[in-house]
Amino acid sequence: MISYCICTENLSYQFPGNKPVLNNINLQVPVSSIYGFLGPNGAGKTTTLRLLLGLLRKQQGSIKVFGKEFQKNRINILKNIGSLIESPSIYLHLTASENLEVLQKIYRCPERNIGETLEIVGLEMTGNKKAGQFSLGMKQRLSIAIAMFHKPSLLILDEPTNGLDPNGIIEIRELLRKLNNEFKTTIVISSHMLTEIEKLVTHIGVIKKGSILFQGTLHELRQKQMHNSVIHFDTSENDKAGKIILANGVMPISLDDQITLPRMERETIAKLNRQLVEKGIEVYQISTSQKDLESIFIDFIKP
Amino acid sequence: MQFIYSFQSEWLKKKRNLASWLVIVGAFFTPAILLIYSLVYSTKLYAASMAPNFWYALWENSWESMAIFLLPMGVILATSLITQIEFRNNTWKQLHTLPQSMTTIFFAKLSVIIVMMLQFFILFNIGFYLSGVVPCLLTKGVPYPKAPLPYQVFLKDNLLYFVACLPIIAVQYLTSLQFKNFLAPIGIGIALWILSVAVFRWQYGYIIPYTYCGFHFLQNIGKVKLSVPIHVLAFGWFILFTIISYILYITKKEKG
Repeated sequence: MISYCICTENLSYQFPGNKPVLNNINLQVPVSSIYGFLGPNGAGKTTTLRLLLGLLRKQQGSIKVFGKEFQKNRINILKNIGSLIESPSIYLHLTASENLEVLQKIYRCPERNIGETLEIVGLEMTGNKKAGQFSLGMKQRLSIAIAMFHKPSLLILDEPTNGLDPNGIIEIRELLRKLNNEFKTTIVISSHMLTEIEKLVTHIGVIKKGSILFQGTLHELRQKQMHNSVIHFDTSENDKAGKIILANGVMPISLDDQITLPRMERETIAKLNRQLVEKGIEVYQISTSQKDLESIFIDFIKP
Repeated sequence: MQFIYSFQSEWLKKKRNLASWLVIVGAFFTPAILLIYSLVYSTKLYAASMAPNFWYALWENSWESMAIFLLPMGVILATSLITQIEFRNNTWKQLHTLPQSMTTIFFAKLSVIIVMMLQFFILFNIGFYLSGVVPCLLTKGVPYPKAPLPYQVFLKDNLLYFVACLPIIAVQYLTSLQFKNFLAPIGIGIALWILSVAVFRWQYGYIIPYTYCGFHFLQNIGKVKLSVPIHVLAFGWFILFTIISYILYITKKEKG
């Protein structure tokens, strides 16, 4: 049986005077997974994450983190969570190490964690420079350092690569992978771009207009990709060929330069090919094409 | 214990904050002016140092501008600056996801402000003493003040001024926690301070929570005689506004 680090049941939320932002969200984040939480802007990702962290008061449904009811065990649960929600959340008048010292007082971690964490995110050389003088990328790194400072078993990161250059994105991706591999840290990472996190995540949840459209492993998403593949027939007489195919009970998806057919058994493809040749139609090419993950994601989220 | 850790964390945040400088500059401002005045008009110093009321006169001079203007304004600015640190840095969401209760956060922040006020009073008293002694030491022929330092009287007076400040701290804390815009708590504070100056002559002026520092000074110099115990009122307002502030804070629907 899969054990879940985060499990919500029928989580719904509505801001006063507005339409519901979340509708019966049943999020299931397995322990030690890297869960990509995907959706277009305004889909409800940040609201969900803020509810998970107790930044918004729960209205309907239940939230369990580490198997415990969040509301009743808030402080104990938060001891093991690190988070980054939207824009960097740092004290601009303090240095990077002072920012971590503020946390060190609360978590009571060893002081050496400060230097170690800054080294991991590449901010060890910032010295007396105040965080307000940092570039956006540096601020984002410091935010990530804040989230991982106390070595939490769950990291909740809302679009953590915002503002980072391609190199920075790769480094953060490597860092998260390392945390997951070495410390079995469960990571929930939200994004509006599948390509950005496709190489990192083990599980994916797709949210649109406050509802979960897909939730499962990356493997399951790839299976869906297989199901979404199509077959193309390139023949000398597409119209005539189309009628023959239709007579076999297969409905073409399109009939232009090529005949596009839905995914079917190999035997059916061979049978259709044989019939077309017997009727004197030249078959130049039979090919299959698969939708990539990004296209499937776009299909999920398109209006 | 968690409260102490939270307090340490909050104390760190005020580093390099304008409020920290305000406490130091505000505490030494009036004593510095009086010290310079004494050195410039050093001819009057001998007679003053021999006077039996030397310390009382200096105490009154030190508090004159402080009680009516500098202290209330300083409290308004310092409290708002400290409380608004989280809004300015977009860090409420970070603070509220740390493993500490909302109650701990609320009282740790308030305690930092109160300790800063105590810091101000200590520095002010050091400045006061130096402004009395240093001119005598630097001026030839002027002895150390003859009158003994009535430190018990001054300690009690410090305590009463401190209590008189508490409602300003509570109101500023409340408004600074509620409004994201820094100008809102400052504007409210300045408006209430102007109102407090305007009502000093009104017989019911004491109902305004920002008047007590001024009233305490005016009572001390015999300019005003009030029939109500203003320090009890000040403490009452402080408790009331702190409770309101606490309830509004912990019942916030959005915590960052």
